[in-house]
Amino acid sequence: MTLDPRTKMVIVICLSTLALIYNTPERLLQLLIVTVLLLLLFRIDIRSVWVYLKRFLQLMLVVFIIQCFFTRGGEVLLSLGSVELISSQGFLTGASLVLRIIVVISAALILTTFSSRDFILGLVQWKVPYELAFMVTIAMRFLPLFRDEFVNVVTAVQLRGVELKQVSWGKKIELFRCLLFPVVFGALLKAQQLAVAMESRGFRAYPRRTYLRRLDFILVDYAVMLIFVTVTIILIVY
Amino acid sequence: MHFLELSQVNFHYPKQEKLALDNINLEIEQKSITAVIGPNGSGKTTLSKVMIGVFPATGGKILLQGDPVSELSLAEIGRSIGYVFQNPDLQLFCGTVAEEIGFGLINRGCEPDRVKEKVDFYLDYFQLAEYRNAFPLHLSQGEKQRVAIASVLAAEPEFLILDEPTIGLDTYRKKILEGYLQKIACSGRGMVLISHDMSFVNRLADRVIQMENGHIVDDGDWKGNNGYDA
Repeated sequence: MTLDPRTKMVIVICLSTLALIYNTPERLLQLLIVTVLLLLLFRIDIRSVWVYLKRFLQLMLVVFIIQCFFTRGGEVLLSLGSVELISSQGFLTGASLVLRIIVVISAALILTTFSSRDFILGLVQWKVPYELAFMVTIAMRFLPLFRDEFVNVVTAVQLRGVELKQVSWGKKIELFRCLLFPVVFGALLKAQQLAVAMESRGFRAYPRRTYLRRLDFILVDYAVMLIFVTVTIILIVY
Repeated sequence: MHFLELSQVNFHYPKQEKLALDNINLEIEQKSITAVIGPNGSGKTTLSKVMIGVFPATGGKILLQGDPVSELSLAEIGRSIGYVFQNPDLQLFCGTVAEEIGFGLINRGCEPDRVKEKVDFYLDYFQLAEYRNAFPLHLSQGEKQRVAIASVLAAEPEFLILDEPTIGLDTYRKKILEGYLQKIACSGRGMVLISHDMSFVNRLADRVIQMENGHIVDDGDWKGNNGYDA
């Protein structure tokens, strides 16, 4: 479906807002089904969703386990003698949080169906200052680079003979401090270099920017936005 | 048994159909100095990263002292092969230069006295003593390169792979590095040098492999410039 990037942004905001407000697995599951249908409608390969979700599997598992063990209420599902380990409320809260993460990540994939240039253009036409829109795009573009840098440093540490899986937790924490050093420093350095490079190429040389292309809403965009915003408000209120 | 053995190795980057390495067959002996040369994008760095298992080969077999690289952890490979990255920023992660050089030794359980002795030696040898307590990433490119090389050499691996080791080094420091690499070679430890610096390659290598478009197009004894102009 060809929609204006801003319409897609509104859809993502609506889905994410509902995901944050809903707190029962049933509601979140329904929201996930709607999200998946939208992804199919936007011709996003569902397998790519799995590729993104895979990276968050450990986080989701940790969140689920913590909720299972530390949220009390409802029936006891698992106990050790007289000690209650997992309650039905804990299980449901854990499941809700996992579903929430899945919905937010899946919905965010809708943003990949248009270019970063369109993203900036869309925000600017919504009167967001160009500098701010540009910063958001740069941040989005640099995130995978930081991940790659982190992977590189982990590789370098391992190549110095450190078996990361076998070191103790104390040592691991010390090592991760090491790993964060170059990544944070690299990020600051890159930001500084990028600022110099941009200014040397005339970024903000003139107070007003002009654009060759303009994004124009068509009737479908207005209709889709209206439906999504209205439905979201109704679902939040009721 | 060869130290490193690659048979029919292929590699392509994710989401790319073009092979970055195409049917590579190569045997490397532990005591040899092998240079890999070729134009930008010919697959030199990719080959070195596939050799040490950083990039898993998409086809073929790589054996390190008879063991498949795919079955070894990076740490196990790192204990046999010291790898100097093309970009030193990728391999410097400690708070000070001294910690960086001693990192591998400490993690291999070396005694603190021995670690200090070695760190002092490499700081002096690579003229880094004045930066002992400096943050490695604050140094100049050439200094970072020297720290990266020193920190890999300090661990005394059986074999070395150096990806563009002379980048950022002045003529004097190149000579110092060359002298040290020759000393290593004399002690029976071999290396693979990836370089565009033909005079450096000319003086050190006893075998030169030339790559183009992911293929090995020439493999032989070094007899001077074989047509490739770096």
